[in-house]
Amino acid sequence: MFYRVGQLIPVFAGLLFAAGSATAAGTGSVKTGKLVYERYCLSCHGAEGNGQGEAAEYMAVKPRDYRQGTYKWRTTPSGSLPLDSDLEHTLLNGLHGTYMPTWRALDQRSRRDVISYIKTFSPRFATEKPQDPIVIPPDPGYSDASVARGTAVYKKYNCSQCHGPGGQGDGPSAHELKDDWGNAIVPYDLTKGHVKCGDQSTDIYRVFMTGLAGTPMPTFADSMSSADAWDLVHFIQSLSPGYAKNMMAAAADRKTGATQ
Amino acid sequence: MLNGIGAAASRHSVFARACVAVVGVGASLVTHQALASYEVMAVTNGGTIDGSVTLTGAAPGQAAIKVSKNQDYCGQTIPDPAYTVDSSGGLANVIVYLKDITKGKAAPAEPLALVNTKCMFSPRVQGAMVSQQVKISSDDTVLHNTHPQNAETNATIFNVALPFKGFSVTKPLPTMPMMIKVKCDAHEWMHAWIMELDHPYYATTSADGHFTIKDVPPGTYTLAVWHEVAGEKSAPVVVAAGQTVKPKITLAAK
Repeated sequence: MFYRVGQLIPVFAGLLFAAGSATAAGTGSVKTGKLVYERYCLSCHGAEGNGQGEAAEYMAVKPRDYRQGTYKWRTTPSGSLPLDSDLEHTLLNGLHGTYMPTWRALDQRSRRDVISYIKTFSPRFATEKPQDPIVIPPDPGYSDASVARGTAVYKKYNCSQCHGPGGQGDGPSAHELKDDWGNAIVPYDLTKGHVKCGDQSTDIYRVFMTGLAGTPMPTFADSMSSADAWDLVHFIQSLSPGYAKNMMAAAADRKTGATQ
Repeated sequence: MLNGIGAAASRHSVFARACVAVVGVGASLVTHQALASYEVMAVTNGGTIDGSVTLTGAAPGQAAIKVSKNQDYCGQTIPDPAYTVDSSGGLANVIVYLKDITKGKAAPAEPLALVNTKCMFSPRVQGAMVSQQVKISSDDTVLHNTHPQNAETNATIFNVALPFKGFSVTKPLPTMPMMIKVKCDAHEWMHAWIMELDHPYYATTSADGHFTIKDVPPGTYTLAVWHEVAGEKSAPVVVAAGQTVKPKITLAAK
């Protein structure tokens, strides 16, 4: 079949337009998002997005107050707004150990619409752009040697100041900590077996490098090399009950070709 | 001459001006939006404001800060620096600044310094231009974190770890004028203040309560002072070309 160039131009233009609106459509509909929010989010996060919905007073970990544009789970550096995809990640996965469940039951369109609505609670989204996400190099792999180095990294960076010598969240500074809203907050007990922002090794790495905005957990992106960070990830994983044993067994299986 | 003005009212005027600047520039702004309201020009016939701030009344007795952690490094107690007053009443750590100045000298080229030393921030208070860089460093072997927040909303600006002695990092301050309260979460007694303005006409009083603001274009301005406990105050000041004006400002102890 033959097309003349003139016929193709509208086709290309149409494709470009579609691609353009898809990029912009990270942004969903604020109007529809408000309906989704009122149905599913309002009872905890409140009609004004201030984290003071009816259910909030019964919660030990308070729902996010959206008005400051401050989010814990981000791929962006400390101080930056999150990307839309970061907010979608939290909707998809929930936050372990809090009342925030997964919202995988919502279709993608509704997730994007509600994200657009949530962003209207903070004026920052209208005037600031999120910074580029941090780069996470590939995990060099869990090993006893890396865990041993990670033990030294934990000491070198004084992680025990808050998280305690054994990672149980009982360091000298553990008891007077407050979040941006003045609520008492405790350092995470790293021996519990799950990590709040995700159990993947990249989730743990990310927390060191972005910090947890609104909490005392700072960014180490300016002080910690990626090699040190990966050793620290493996040390923290080794604190989880059963983790080291499972990793070693999996490695042994791979070596013998037992797993497929 | 000097009229006391409520702390909230004067702070809001800085904030309101910033909001107007943002609305005026529109949605495409990314950085330096607040600078739109300040115009840099050569100041050839500027005047100098060379004044002092004195505390009236006895400074309230201040209990020393009781160190609750890392006592082996930080010591058992640290003197409370909130009121630092010399023998003649000169009050240190007061920010003195002009209000409603829209044209004048260029922004300072150097970054601010904020040092974590002996489990305290130094300096305690300082002024800054919007978007100015701040070099944060630690002289201490214990972990500190430098966590500036918007003093009105408590919203985190950034939160950076200073895990060991000798580490430093340079970060930009926000693009909007605001009062910033800096804390170290790891040592809850550590605080500092940075007053961010959209112009460079500010100074901090030295140990004897003295301050100097140079290269001020001739005119009538409002001179304002801020202290972390004694609060705020402002009064008109007239600056003549090539002259030095010497305002003596008093703040009452609270």
